[in-house]
Amino acid sequence: MNTIDATEHYSTSAHDRPPSLLTVILDTNPHAWAQLSSQSALPLSTAVANILVFLNAHLACNYANEVAVVASHTQKATWLYPVAAASPDSNQPPRDKDGDTPMPSHNRPPPPHEMNKYRPFRIVEEQVTQNLHRLLGGTTADDLSATTSTLMAGALTLALSHINRRTIAWAEAHGGETDPNAHANNTTTTSTNTAGGAAAASGGDKASTESGLQSRILILSVSSATGAAHQYIPIMNAIFACQRLQIPIDVCKLAGDAVFLQQAADATKGVYMALAEPRGLLQYLMMAFLPDQRSRRHLILPTRVDVDFRAACFCHRRVVDIGFVCSICLSIFCEPLEKGECLTCGSVLEMGDYGAKPAVVARKKKKKKVRGPGNGASATPTPTPTPGP
Amino acid sequence: MADSDEEYAGEASEDEVDGSQISSRGGAAKPPRSKRKKNRGGAEWEVSRTWESLVEGADGTINSTVEGLLEAGKRKRLLRDTTPLQRGIIRHLILVLDLSHSMAEKDLRPTRYLLSLRYAQEFVREFFEQNPISQLGVLGLRDGLAVRVSDMSGNPTEQISAIQALREHDPKGLPSLQNGLEMARGALFHTPTHGTREVLIIFGSLLSSDPGDIHHTIATLVSEKIRVGIVGLAAQVAICRELCSKTNHGDDTTYGVALNEQHFRELVMGVTTPPATFSQRQSASSLLMMGFPSRSVEAHPSLCACHSNPSCGGYSCSRCNSKVCGLPAECPSCSLTLILSTHLARSYHHLFPLMNWVEVPWARASRSLACFACGITFPPVPPRDQWQAADVQSRGMSVSSRYECTVCRNNFCIDCDLFAHEVVHNCPGCQSETTSSTTPGLVQVADRMDTSA
Repeated sequence: MNTIDATEHYSTSAHDRPPSLLTVILDTNPHAWAQLSSQSALPLSTAVANILVFLNAHLACNYANEVAVVASHTQKATWLYPVAAASPDSNQPPRDKDGDTPMPSHNRPPPPHEMNKYRPFRIVEEQVTQNLHRLLGGTTADDLSATTSTLMAGALTLALSHINRRTIAWAEAHGGETDPNAHANNTTTTSTNTAGGAAAASGGDKASTESGLQSRILILSVSSATGAAHQYIPIMNAIFACQRLQIPIDVCKLAGDAVFLQQAADATKGVYMALAEPRGLLQYLMMAFLPDQRSRRHLILPTRVDVDFRAACFCHRRVVDIGFVCSICLSIFCEPLEKGECLTCGSVLEMGDYGAKPAVVARKKKKKKVRGPGNGASATPTPTPTPGP
Repeated sequence: MADSDEEYAGEASEDEVDGSQISSRGGAAKPPRSKRKKNRGGAEWEVSRTWESLVEGADGTINSTVEGLLEAGKRKRLLRDTTPLQRGIIRHLILVLDLSHSMAEKDLRPTRYLLSLRYAQEFVREFFEQNPISQLGVLGLRDGLAVRVSDMSGNPTEQISAIQALREHDPKGLPSLQNGLEMARGALFHTPTHGTREVLIIFGSLLSSDPGDIHHTIATLVSEKIRVGIVGLAAQVAICRELCSKTNHGDDTTYGVALNEQHFRELVMGVTTPPATFSQRQSASSLLMMGFPSRSVEAHPSLCACHSNPSCGGYSCSRCNSKVCGLPAECPSCSLTLILSTHLARSYHHLFPLMNWVEVPWARASRSLACFACGITFPPVPPRDQWQAADVQSRGMSVSSRYECTVCRNNFCIDCDLFAHEVVHNCPGCQSETTSSTTPGLVQVADRMDTSA
């Protein structure tokens, strides 16, 4: 109705920069942390202390900035901050054990030595440490022996849900562009296939690119990618969602190596850094990961030019340059299939001439060469050149 | 594969809430007449009286009803079919735009012409977003002729600039469906059999001035397995319905007439979802050879093989090492398909869709106080005697504002429901629990997928 008023008002006040929401995903995989602290003397407690300083720095950049922290643990992904009201849901035993809503902790008078601490800092610090203690305390030996990987896909999905919620809330509070007509005009944003269905979501994502809440995700990863194979599809889905919403995923790799996270950072134009010296975590965080999207336009970012885009085949997990793809389920194979039957979906595929080997004229007085299936590498190297493929 | 359709037909009709997508299952189970009528979109608005469904709340305002309607609207869009159909992921589609003088009408703002050009551009972008390894071409119908706007290619920017260039021209003359279809047929003639062959027509006229018998053309389209979808802007046209029904194996749901701008957009964007494959007319599937090149950065710029533009970075073909500047592409020198493995992953959510979440009645609502994913608090459970009163609201929407994933049993709010199904395609609950139950939904789906494919 009074859009004119509103736009006028906000264009004048638009000089104070819109706040940004930083979501930190902390990989709390105990296996990986045990390894890391023995190798490079960075225990989890020090890392958490460094992260808290970093979060405070982010909060201090702008009074309206927000943070969120998700833990990606071995058996579950859960919120460290902000924690939702306790639910009687049986799926979250650590949270409902005390049955407290987080409110009382806000109102509780701070310990005397923290009397003068900036309140947002104190709340973040209290909740993160409290919930982390609870999470680690609730981890049993059985949980640890069951798996060594971490639930990164779940943590990413939780983080995205929270970002979505905050973006909607921010747009509503500030008269943001939740108007479906406004988003129809917007041709640069990729919108979902059911038009206005995503009015809120894509209105929000448009807002995030221009004047709305800016969100980004920082992953502090310690686990290697070995366990992440079964999470491939969910992680990829989360990455594409970030790409659509223009949320950069920054990756700070303390140990191990994860191809998915490299691709995540590359696809969403985030920063990927594998730390050479994990003890300098705080400095890396402050220097490389503190600037928000707007500042980054003016900075030269640590980029990673050689991203490994090769695919792993579904049959032998080999990394391939040239692969064969089933036209029905898009599974990747490293060599033409024996019977022309897709190993994933079982459909019979037309092979084309891929499996065919060139006809070799038999040489006189030579042993017949034994060939490996499908590829041209000969098993026995012959000194004389052979008419191989 | 051959009997997959029958297997799902029964289950699908249970899932079906709205007759939305399901009936595209093909001739095997012809949907009842009444259901089909809904899809036409034409007849319904005349009789629905939205003002009668407004109920005054206890505080004398209609806020609660309006909010309810909003939520119901969001939810309605969500409840789509989640049967893991075999879909044609590799698509070949010709977009045919009506450029005749009837497109100058201003019943859609600003004009039909400008609006359909804008939606066509959005369609192209979204199409390649959803179907990264597909091909698209654009034709126009003007002055009784079919005009080639852009050739079949896998590059969205070329198509978009070609459509953009049409804005300079004015719509003119009469359209000829037959000419357009013949030209589209020619363009699709050489496409390989493992992909789909589709034509989407945005048609604003009520007539088609053809040089010959369009029924012959339709018969050829059927024999060449080309599927036609039409979005009408004016009113239903008999030949369009016949065309869609014959080329889609007796199923005419691919013909829709736009009621308003919003509906027009929905109809066009609906086509970006890959179509289900009919087992009766199953296209031959095959194994495709593809290259997965890595990106390289050079100190000095060199020309790329695709556009001859100098650039420092690029992808070199895994087979012949020629440099291309963007992916997905076909290597210009050895014609190997070059893609990123992430492009393939982008299509996985069509193959393994996220299950619809179910509504939670008040009786079970006390299990949760807040949304599992975003932490927003749910409305508290009212006393038992008020449960019935709230039930009058429309179907598909949860009285308690809670939606439950049937796999992990967590409750979510409507916004997270929408977000999870339309943007992320992950269930936050299922992904956040132990490995044993990490992706039961996915595994289930994958199992069912196995049986179907």
